[in-house]
Amino acid sequence: MIEIAIDLIIAMGVVGLALQTILGASVFRAILMFIVFGLLMAMAWARLHAPDLALAEAAIGAGITGALLLVTWRRLQAMDGRTPRVGIAARAPWLSIASGIFAAALIVALGWVSLSLPAEPAAAGELAWQRLPEVGVSNPVTGVLLAFRAYDTLMEMGVLLAAWLGARAVASELRPGALPGPAHAEVPLVGALLSLVVPISLLVAVYLLQAGGSAPGGAFQGGAVLAAGGVLLCLSGRLEAAERSSITERIGLVLGLAVFSCIGLVMLFMGEPMLAMPGVWAIYLVETALLLSIALTLVLLFAAAPGLRRAP
Amino acid sequence: MVHEALIGLVFLPLLGACLAVLPGRFGTRLAIVVGLASLPFLLLPVTLSVLREGAWFYTLGGWSAPLGIRLYVDPLALLMLWMVALIGGLAAAHAWHDFRPGTAAGERFWPLWLLLTAAMNGLFLSADLFNLYVCLELVTLAAIPLIAMAGSATAVRAAMRYLLLALLASLAYLLGVALLYNSSGTLDLYLLPDALATAPAPVTAFALALIGTGLLLKGAVFPLHVWLPQAHASAPGPVSAVLSALVVKTAIYLLYRVGLWSLPAGLLADGAMLLFAVLGAGALIYGGVLALLQDRLKLVIAYSTVAQLGYLLLALPLASLAAWQALTYQMLSHGLAKAAMFLAAANILHAIGSDRLSDLERLDQRTPLSLFALAVAGVSIMGLPPSGGFLAKWLLLEAAWRGGQWGLLSVLILGSLLAAAYVFRVLAAALRREDPSEAEDAEGISAIGRRQATYAMLLALLALVTGFAAAPILELMATGIPPTWGAA
Repeated sequence: MIEIAIDLIIAMGVVGLALQTILGASVFRAILMFIVFGLLMAMAWARLHAPDLALAEAAIGAGITGALLLVTWRRLQAMDGRTPRVGIAARAPWLSIASGIFAAALIVALGWVSLSLPAEPAAAGELAWQRLPEVGVSNPVTGVLLAFRAYDTLMEMGVLLAAWLGARAVASELRPGALPGPAHAEVPLVGALLSLVVPISLLVAVYLLQAGGSAPGGAFQGGAVLAAGGVLLCLSGRLEAAERSSITERIGLVLGLAVFSCIGLVMLFMGEPMLAMPGVWAIYLVETALLLSIALTLVLLFAAAPGLRRAP
Repeated sequence: MVHEALIGLVFLPLLGACLAVLPGRFGTRLAIVVGLASLPFLLLPVTLSVLREGAWFYTLGGWSAPLGIRLYVDPLALLMLWMVALIGGLAAAHAWHDFRPGTAAGERFWPLWLLLTAAMNGLFLSADLFNLYVCLELVTLAAIPLIAMAGSATAVRAAMRYLLLALLASLAYLLGVALLYNSSGTLDLYLLPDALATAPAPVTAFALALIGTGLLLKGAVFPLHVWLPQAHASAPGPVSAVLSALVVKTAIYLLYRVGLWSLPAGLLADGAMLLFAVLGAGALIYGGVLALLQDRLKLVIAYSTVAQLGYLLLALPLASLAAWQALTYQMLSHGLAKAAMFLAAANILHAIGSDRLSDLERLDQRTPLSLFALAVAGVSIMGLPPSGGFLAKWLLLEAAWRGGQWGLLSVLILGSLLAAAYVFRVLAAALRREDPSEAEDAEGISAIGRRQATYAMLLALLALVTGFAAAPILELMATGIPPTWGAA
């Protein structure tokens, strides 16, 4: 009974927050609603027994995406001193109505065809459970991401690298203004807070990575948490944008992709299939490299800068 | 050895991209050699193996499908891979001079170019619907910043519009894939026909509609082409060339793969095929008319892409061997000719500082080689003999004639007439003489300009050569006819 009530509240909340996001009176309000929407979605995933997705949604969907949207909003304000106050829906009403009708039709059709979906689990999913012991990890999500479908994960690292390269290319054409510094540069508590929160973000990131073998977690969630620590350092003015990326940063950006590909290629030339993992240690090695690359990419995207340096 | 070569097609450009991110001119040069110049040499053994033994699979990580991901190389994939290697290679040679390794622009350009190459090769080889989604995303996300690198506000706006529509298309595709997986239990393209035979029909139909819409939007098929003309026209020259010759074709390629390989025979109703043909006919006529109305050279060429993509859908209802050969040959000849045209247009823009048709007078004296490349490529676009375009369109006409499709036949002829009109309009503008007393000396063209004109000319010559060296390619394509058509 109580479970149904919780589900109902989550379901109504998700729809309500989505509406608030679209109809928000200002961009700022829409962003805040979007962040809360992400958190509630994470709860929805948890209720659907997908804890890995819940973690990823909370860390990346709500956390990092929210931070990126907010910092963009602040940059826009710094650039032309004002942001559009009108709701997003009010500026192009016909387009909004048309896309609303289209989306509604899509949802109805989706619901209708979902009724005829077979109830039994899909064949590939069953196989993943059966052959998981051969991988050596007990978390099936890690098994899929780093063994069965490692090639997907590798290509996704390429997508992340492309996102950063793309942001850098566009930034160098558009030259957005520098991130406005914190309003109250040195509140005494900021330092104390950072000295607590940043090490904890590192600890949680490493924990998530290590736990990923047997429980929900892994490189993507850990990377997002570590990136949150970096974002805090940027926000509080401890790190500032640099003109060029240092060699360490460049190595860090491609580390995940390079380590993953090289292990795969070494196995290929040793007569194994491409991307076969030589053992659990290799999975953890690849995940560590992925975590570092993901965290660094996300922080650099947040700072919209080629590199970072310590503030004087 | 052939397995290593196949893997290298994806992983050498990928590692090249990593190398190009690292600082220094030397790294980037090495990356270009490793990631781009190696491709034809990797393709040779793979091609030979397909010629000898036919199409084959490679299982990644030793996890057999449906659990793992397979790569699949067949004649169609080979054709696309060769196009990436040759067209991409010549466009890269052209880009070398504008985005020199070691300069700030080069530092931003080459990692993205290499990622784009890796993603396209990965896409043409992948046999897995979700992996194809990841490759499609990587193609899009690597291509779009390259457009923005032209530096104009128009280019950035066009890139942004392309990004938003492409993401919408990706989401539609992904939703369709999720539904297909849930109803069939597999993501493998070549296991799907059997798995789908017992899947509930409404789910399959809805999923295919979503996948189809997504791919038509990414492939800029009329009427979903709105993002293409500005994006392709405002990008830097070599980027326009690969966008029109290769990137939009990735979506069309995927449309073929899903529609003609991964469905049980007879599942796709004739109605769907007819819809494709109608869209193709619409593209051919609308694109042709709009190309005729543009007053900038690059926009003419971009609208010509909208039109020429129509041919790739037009022949789908014919489902015959001749139609298959025509489609694949159009893929190849349009790719070569369009890349040549965009590179030539970039040279002209570079030399005279404008690509307005009204500014193009006396081009035969100012940029003779680039104009010649433009004209030769135009011959292939119009479908005049002895070009590759002629052969593709001739095969299409023949297939339509044999199938008794008179409506199709008349659309084909109308499309070619429109193409002739817009190509001749450009040539007329370029050969015009405003003032007969004007000095008639060739303006100083730099050594770099001459070299860049040569790359355009090489592509145009390749488009011409495919007109009379076609037999081996057509034979190879005949062995790679889709299973759903082979029976017909």
